[in-house]
Amino acid sequence: MTMFEAILLTIITASTPLLIGAIGQLVCERSGVLNLGMEGMMIMGAACGFAAAILSGNSYVGVLAAILAGMAMSLIFAVLTLGLAANQVASGLALSIFGLGLSGVIGAPFVGAKRDQMAKLYLPGLTDIPVIGKALFGQDPFVYASFALVIGVWWFLARSKPGLVLRACGENHASAHALGYPVLKIRLLAILFGGGCAGLAGAYLSLVYTPFWSPGMTAGRGWIALAIVVFASWRPWRVLAGAYLFGGITILQLHAQGAGVKVPSQFMAALPYLVTILALVIIMRRRGGQKTAPASLGTPFVPDR
Amino acid sequence: MQINRRQILQGATALAGAATLGQPAFAQANPLQVGFIYVGPVGDFGWSTMHDVGRKRLEEVMGAAVKTTAVEAVATNDMERVATQLARQGHRLIFTTSFSFFQPTMRVAPTLPNVFFESATGTQTAPNVSLYNARFYEGRYVQGVIAARKSKTKTIGYIAAFPVPEVVHAINTVMRGAWSVDPSMKIRVVWANAWFNPGREADAARALIDQGCDVICAHTDSPAPLQLANERGVFGFGQASDMTRFAPRAHLTSSVNNWGDYYVERAKAVIAGTWQPGDVWGGLNSGMFRLAPFTNMSPEDVSEAERIRDAIATGRLHPFDGPITRADGTVAVPAGGRATDDQIRAMNYFYRGIDVALPS
Repeated sequence: MTMFEAILLTIITASTPLLIGAIGQLVCERSGVLNLGMEGMMIMGAACGFAAAILSGNSYVGVLAAILAGMAMSLIFAVLTLGLAANQVASGLALSIFGLGLSGVIGAPFVGAKRDQMAKLYLPGLTDIPVIGKALFGQDPFVYASFALVIGVWWFLARSKPGLVLRACGENHASAHALGYPVLKIRLLAILFGGGCAGLAGAYLSLVYTPFWSPGMTAGRGWIALAIVVFASWRPWRVLAGAYLFGGITILQLHAQGAGVKVPSQFMAALPYLVTILALVIIMRRRGGQKTAPASLGTPFVPDR
Repeated sequence: MQINRRQILQGATALAGAATLGQPAFAQANPLQVGFIYVGPVGDFGWSTMHDVGRKRLEEVMGAAVKTTAVEAVATNDMERVATQLARQGHRLIFTTSFSFFQPTMRVAPTLPNVFFESATGTQTAPNVSLYNARFYEGRYVQGVIAARKSKTKTIGYIAAFPVPEVVHAINTVMRGAWSVDPSMKIRVVWANAWFNPGREADAARALIDQGCDVICAHTDSPAPLQLANERGVFGFGQASDMTRFAPRAHLTSSVNNWGDYYVERAKAVIAGTWQPGDVWGGLNSGMFRLAPFTNMSPEDVSEAERIRDAIATGRLHPFDGPITRADGTVAVPAGGRATDDQIRAMNYFYRGIDVALPS
């Protein structure tokens, strides 16, 4: 295995949870809902996914449980912000704190339990192709799911009618409502999708990335996923680029440190954030700096009766 | 007038505080309240877990004579608030269990003169602040010896948390041990800039293994690096607790912490009124930590490791005997000398032969 291939494989592992989380959040935000509860939903996915996988002995049951846990968490958020028109920022922050605490309780009996990593794909012939074989045909199911999600979300938002309606809700919920679209129902579905993706990203952490449970193990990845959505200016392909750029620099700086490059490690640790922000800002500027945030993002909608 | 919730809470804690202050005479009759502040989650399966094991041991031994409270995953800049809160609730002995908490402990201690603080690692004591730590470097020396025996690539990978003396002298000691077997041993270091971030710890291990390291030392708190070593077919050491089960094929030994006996001793001192600020730095012979049974090693390697472990424990071998030469070539400790405890605790340089950037 060459060094290039080794680095590539590690970058894929580091980027996948960010990508899965961010793409779900993107759909949610395009419908006009800002859910800052990402970290809480993600870690609930990690806790419930690991617990279910241990109890059932099957990783796929764990994945399913993680998705459901993420959706359940987002449902709480939906009840607060859609049902009661509560402030989205405050509700999201509360959800993050709640998720971090609750996941600790759920995961407590599973501290110190271990599971083997989920199996990776192996296609005889294809996986053995030098350099790109393992990267393209030797990944775990999550990696393929993350790419499928990006393609699916891009197609949905850009090419399908329901996607356009969802975007309309995010741009101007009053107009969407006036045209007869069920704004709250659409937003509920978008929130649930975001929650499900966050749960899936959490499952990746506790079933593949570091296959054990430990409280607080998301270590801020939910917040990074949120930031990637913003800096990707709410575009699916840029989310892909942002997640991989962030993951890539994270891994490269670790390699640089190991190789003894004489740069302060604190600067190295900050590098992924700096580079990702810079790159995405430059992309945005080159496109003429158009206004990119969904216009109704974060504003509660109360239909008149 | 508007009263928000925070004001009510403040009022309530003030009342509670006044109540405790008003009846110091009863303090002796009541159980001694002992507070523990952890830097990580209790379930990190490492550093904080083992402090909590110590807390439970304290409860077990002392029974109704003590009442303990643990606050987990406390951020460094929040520690003073947590300590003040614990003091107001009547805790008279507070263990602040991280080097990161040392400065906040020194700031808050003078404001709470009736509370005895115990800081796990630090650089100085105060009238109501004791220091306690274990000489983990003794275990690191043994790790170095084992690593030199196990490594085929002659390269150790070290995942370090922060460039503090505790970590720097540990890296030096690992190499001292490794060089005692094979002077051609090399080390690569990655700073994770976190005590606890399983994902990044694992990524660091991946990077080190990809660069040819085949024995991984972790100076962070989760079992992630060891587990990854197991997956990749290289070797590693457990940190803070016995991590054998996370890596049945990769685990060589773990440094297993044991704080319980110390906690019992200090609680008894407070109850007896004999508590004095102290500075305890217990080695392998103190029982503050031990090495988990050696696994995945040949019988010869095991007996060598045991011999060296026992030599250090009995004082026949000292990992900081001179000569010690800094990376820049200057002599830190001349031949025949030995680094003092203060020198070890302030160590901010790598030895000559360790080609690693030390973040300033």
